[in-house]
Amino acid sequence: MSEGDESNSDEQGYVYYRDRPNWKDIEPIPQDDGPNPVVQIAYTDKFKDVYDYLRAVIRKGEKTERVLELTMDAIECNPANYTVWHYRREVLQELKKDLKSELEFAEETVLNEPKNYQVWYHRQKLVEWSNDPSRELYLTAEVFKDDSKNYHAWQHRQWTIRTYGLWSNELEFVDGLLKEDFRNNSAWNQRYFVIINTTGYTEEVVKNEVKYVIDFIKVAPNNESAWNYLTGILKGGRISDHEPVLKLIDSLRSQHVPSPFLLSTMIDVYEEEVANGKKESLEKAVKICEELGSKIDPVRKRYWEYTSRRLISAYGPLDST
Amino acid sequence: MSLFNSNSMSEVDAVKEEEEFVVKKHVRYFSRCLDILPTQCQSLDANRMTILFFCLSGLDVLDNLSVIDDQRGSEIIEWIYSQQVLPDQSDESSLSKCGFRGSSFLGVPHDNSKSPVSYPYDCSHIAMTYTALSCLLILGDNLSRINKPAVLTGIKALQQPDGSFCSTVEQSESDMRFVYCACCVSYILNDWSVVDVSLTADYIKKSLAYNFGFGQGPSLESHGGSTYCAVASLVLMNKLESTLTLREIERIKKWCIMRQLTGFQGRPNKPADTCYSFWIGATLEMLGASDWVDKELNVQFILSTEGEYTGGFSKWPKCHPDPLHSYLGLCGLSLTNYSQLKPISAPLNISQRAAEWLQSIRGNF
Ligand SMILES: [Zn+2]
Repeated sequence: MSEGDESNSDEQGYVYYRDRPNWKDIEPIPQDDGPNPVVQIAYTDKFKDVYDYLRAVIRKGEKTERVLELTMDAIECNPANYTVWHYRREVLQELKKDLKSELEFAEETVLNEPKNYQVWYHRQKLVEWSNDPSRELYLTAEVFKDDSKNYHAWQHRQWTIRTYGLWSNELEFVDGLLKEDFRNNSAWNQRYFVIINTTGYTEEVVKNEVKYVIDFIKVAPNNESAWNYLTGILKGGRISDHEPVLKLIDSLRSQHVPSPFLLSTMIDVYEEEVANGKKESLEKAVKICEELGSKIDPVRKRYWEYTSRRLISAYGPLDST
Repeated sequence: MSLFNSNSMSEVDAVKEEEEFVVKKHVRYFSRCLDILPTQCQSLDANRMTILFFCLSGLDVLDNLSVIDDQRGSEIIEWIYSQQVLPDQSDESSLSKCGFRGSSFLGVPHDNSKSPVSYPYDCSHIAMTYTALSCLLILGDNLSRINKPAVLTGIKALQQPDGSFCSTVEQSESDMRFVYCACCVSYILNDWSVVDVSLTADYIKKSLAYNFGFGQGPSLESHGGSTYCAVASLVLMNKLESTLTLREIERIKKWCIMRQLTGFQGRPNKPADTCYSFWIGATLEMLGASDWVDKELNVQFILSTEGEYTGGFSKWPKCHPDPLHSYLGLCGLSLTNYSQLKPISAPLNISQRAAEWLQSIRGNF
């Protein structure tokens, strides 16, 4: 089978630990899965060899240079084995290793395995130990070049910024990402993260942010991320208090832009009006629900029907005309 | 509809045959994984318990658990219990390591449970503890060999000052996934004494993002997986209504239903992926809004990710099926009341049948 072929080519140039003279003192420990194992894995010979020796040194508690090398092989075979990473960190500490080369190793692994939880955690520990966050913004930005929505990288970036107070250029960075791809929801989330933790959403900031996001919505009225950001920063306040938003809605509506997010925001505005005593807005809201369910957003037909019923039961009955 | 009885009968038969064929294909997929996983799955070595869970629960949802005969069933139960990290009488500190490991990757002897000795670096992983308990329930075990105080001590050791949970005592990242695991374990063992429930609820509440989905933690981007974990945890703790306002719940429901494209996406502006038919579908179910889903489109999408010859499901059409997406794809189908699939318990992520079995034995331990 092709699997076997692949593993053979993987193992080219690999010398089994069992054949290495400098490992003769170690008695390898095989995995003991009992008489009736389940979900077995068709391990390669290399995998078994590496882990047989790893089990043995962990059992012994050996923390030496050669074990550092062995853990490197074990990580290559299975980067998701959290105990290997943990043990490697203990060896690094025991040997008082210079963390610079370890940071390089972690960086390389992060770039090869950007969705691996263990390596990101390892990276975080190394940054803590060395108290050196200077490369983290660069590294995460590198990961974003391939996948600008990588959750691990964003999480790591937020941790770095928060822990070391690296707020100053982040808004600019986010702005760059949004100009590249205004549908990048992670970048919008990061924008919120930066502002809430620095200036906060003061009246002044909200005003500027509303202006900022409106420009994006004008370009792409169907971009949910931008609409979510807009309604998110108005949380608590009323949409109808923001003249530029009302103007945006009017302008898009007059162009008959078929955006469910536009119409959904209109319903929110109408609901605010009804709650404020403007009875006739209820009917307008209900009409928009119908439009959404039948034409603009039929996937969510039942949701819009529900919304219509919810509004009527909260503020109704409808004035029959 | 045909006027002729015979015609309509054969149509019905044809449909039935096709569906039976589909079921069999998936039964074969999970049966195969239950025995052996290919070399590419080596990175699952430390998480084999979770794969076992996908296989067993998958067969259960397919209503084909009977392909595992009694003999094999008790062998699997033995294997699961052999992964229980038990306290070492001579080592006080071993208690906080208790729970389940994902496999014997550290070389702990298979029969260590007979007179447990603590092995260096051998410790439980919260996701393995949770899935081991679920597997036992699925197989009809009564959990009598669970060392309940030890498992609970192991869980307690993992809660962080912010309310979240780590996966192992050796320290790890902490997030909403592990909050959910802790809640499942506490719920299954019917004991909330080791979890600081209000601190946990606080962590969940703080993870509610500005767009009303939940992130893996505070200020992180809202995501289908973490939203499921957050809501299910609140449901299991019976803290949904006391933690969230009605308005917040309405908005969360809206965030969820907005995720439907044909299937479901995990975040705004991302493509649909089979697993979110479960993560989002189950969240909507827990919040009483599953009838908003366009089932037809959802089913069509899930079926488009079916492994044509191999069975199983992948995240996207024309990709390789994997155990996680195969199981969650089935659960996504089950949430649409798809014929021939058993109904599932949305918060526990096991079949209703297994959840009922839990209720029937819950008073006994
Ligand atoms: Zn997925």
